[in-house]
Amino acid sequence: MMGLIWLCARHELLLAARSRWLQWFAVIFAGLALLVAGSGYVLSGGYGLQDFARTAVSLVQLVLLIVPLAALVFGSLTLSPDRGAAELLYAQPVPRWAILAGRVIGLFLALAAAELLGFGVAGLAVQYYSGPSGASQFLAVVALSLALTAVFLAIAAALASGEPGRRARALAMSLVVWFVAVILFDLAALGVASMLRSGAASRVLMTAALVNPVDAGRTGAYMAIEGTSAFGAASLALLRFAGGERAVAALVTASLLLWTIVPAWVAARRLGRTDL
Amino acid sequence: MIRYDRFTKAYGAHTAVDGLSVDIPAGSVVALLGPNGSGKTTSIKAAAGLVRPTSGDVRLGAERRPATEAEARRLCSFLPQRVSFPDALTGREVVEFYRRMRGVPGDATDRVMKFASLNGAGNRAVGTYSGGMTQRLGLAVAMLPDAEILLLDEPTAALDPDGLCAFYGLVEARRRSGRTVFFSSHQLGDVERLADLIVILIEGRLAATLTSSELAAKLADRGVMRVRMGQRVTALLERVREIAPGARWIGDDLMVPGPTAVRLGALDAIRAAGGAIEGLSAEEGRLDEFYRSIVGGAR
Repeated sequence: MMGLIWLCARHELLLAARSRWLQWFAVIFAGLALLVAGSGYVLSGGYGLQDFARTAVSLVQLVLLIVPLAALVFGSLTLSPDRGAAELLYAQPVPRWAILAGRVIGLFLALAAAELLGFGVAGLAVQYYSGPSGASQFLAVVALSLALTAVFLAIAAALASGEPGRRARALAMSLVVWFVAVILFDLAALGVASMLRSGAASRVLMTAALVNPVDAGRTGAYMAIEGTSAFGAASLALLRFAGGERAVAALVTASLLLWTIVPAWVAARRLGRTDL
Repeated sequence: MIRYDRFTKAYGAHTAVDGLSVDIPAGSVVALLGPNGSGKTTSIKAAAGLVRPTSGDVRLGAERRPATEAEARRLCSFLPQRVSFPDALTGREVVEFYRRMRGVPGDATDRVMKFASLNGAGNRAVGTYSGGMTQRLGLAVAMLPDAEILLLDEPTAALDPDGLCAFYGLVEARRRSGRTVFFSSHQLGDVERLADLIVILIEGRLAATLTSSELAAKLADRGVMRVRMGQRVTALLERVREIAPGARWIGDDLMVPGPTAVRLGALDAIRAAGGAIEGLSAEEGRLDEFYRSIVGGAR
């Protein structure tokens, strides 16, 4: 079974590598990463590139904004069953979940390769100008990026694993999910918290920091880069609840893992019950 | 074999197939006929494990495993109605992927590419293929495994004459090796030429099943004999009509419709009446007319 999953993964990786979408994503991501690496000094009137630690902090926002969007869009476009192609593929003597798993793994590897290319270009430039100091913080952002890719690809798979011919619907739902997770959720959580008393508001913010994978990723990344000094209200509430950085790291990891596993399970279950 | 046992599939309020019970015998070539929307594709997809029955079931092979089981699909090879492939892959890459998925030996790729006349286009991107070439690529993929059952949903719809020859060759080869071929088609010529058994679905219900010999007999019953008499013979028509009530003159030719035995009896009657037969031609009934009569009757 593992061989068949890997076969599907390689197939999807090959398709993705030839996709103009992915090629553009790799170029744009690399360009933006370089821009972010240089923007701190340029904006403050200097020239050259920031060191790894500053670049890492600047890159977190870029990753939180772009990576979920790319994974959702690319995932929903690719994983929506195509009439004719899906019928042939899923008529093979391989369980549907295994084919889906292979496809998602292949897409993950393709997106990860594009992101690593972007990080690599930015990292090489930073290394050249500023030396290796703070490289581990930079790697934390890379890890955040890969984790969010896995989470939002799994969500895209869950949205796309319906009947054939509903790609536009899956894409629209993906964009809604991105808007809610990246933009609306925090505003809503802060809005609700501002109307509550201190204890209840703290619980809302803490829950928000864990329930939304973007917030969980942000909390984890900032903690890895700057410790708890960069924490906002929600992350601080979570820190107080958990009782320490290790516990926060465990909760964040659990949240991201759950956000990968549960949607992937939903996707496999939906696909298994779909008439193709 | 494929066994449909009270197979019913409903999509919301619409019932695509309603209580279909039919056996597709092992080693036979079976055609599934029916008007658009009669449930042919749903029935074939159910055998391919792509559609889950609302009630009843579809089972495959001697062990009668449910078609929805992944292992049961090892018995099948399926070609969908409008097959498509990723534009970015070459034809050879597509075949290679499915060859590996089915665990077929490596030399099969060249064999099926050659069979489907795609050797020259194997290294071209599928996005550059015509509809007929894509269909031939689908056939190539379908014939990769030596599966017990070949399921083909309107396989000849987009094929050119070369593709049709390849398809006929594929079906004949499978027939010779004792495999089952179950295909749907609107091309009645293909059905008449290939099928050992014809299953007719109308509005999701089984309307008729006919073996090839039963079909031949039905078509013979609808045959017409044209007897060139040179001149009309008085009272001959009345004598012939005692045997073949539908007989009539068209010019100086006597047209005698009916089964073979009736037509032979009519010939004897003509000779007994002293009619001088100058020429004779016979035409069997046509499948399209027979099919239309069944469809019209069932509706």
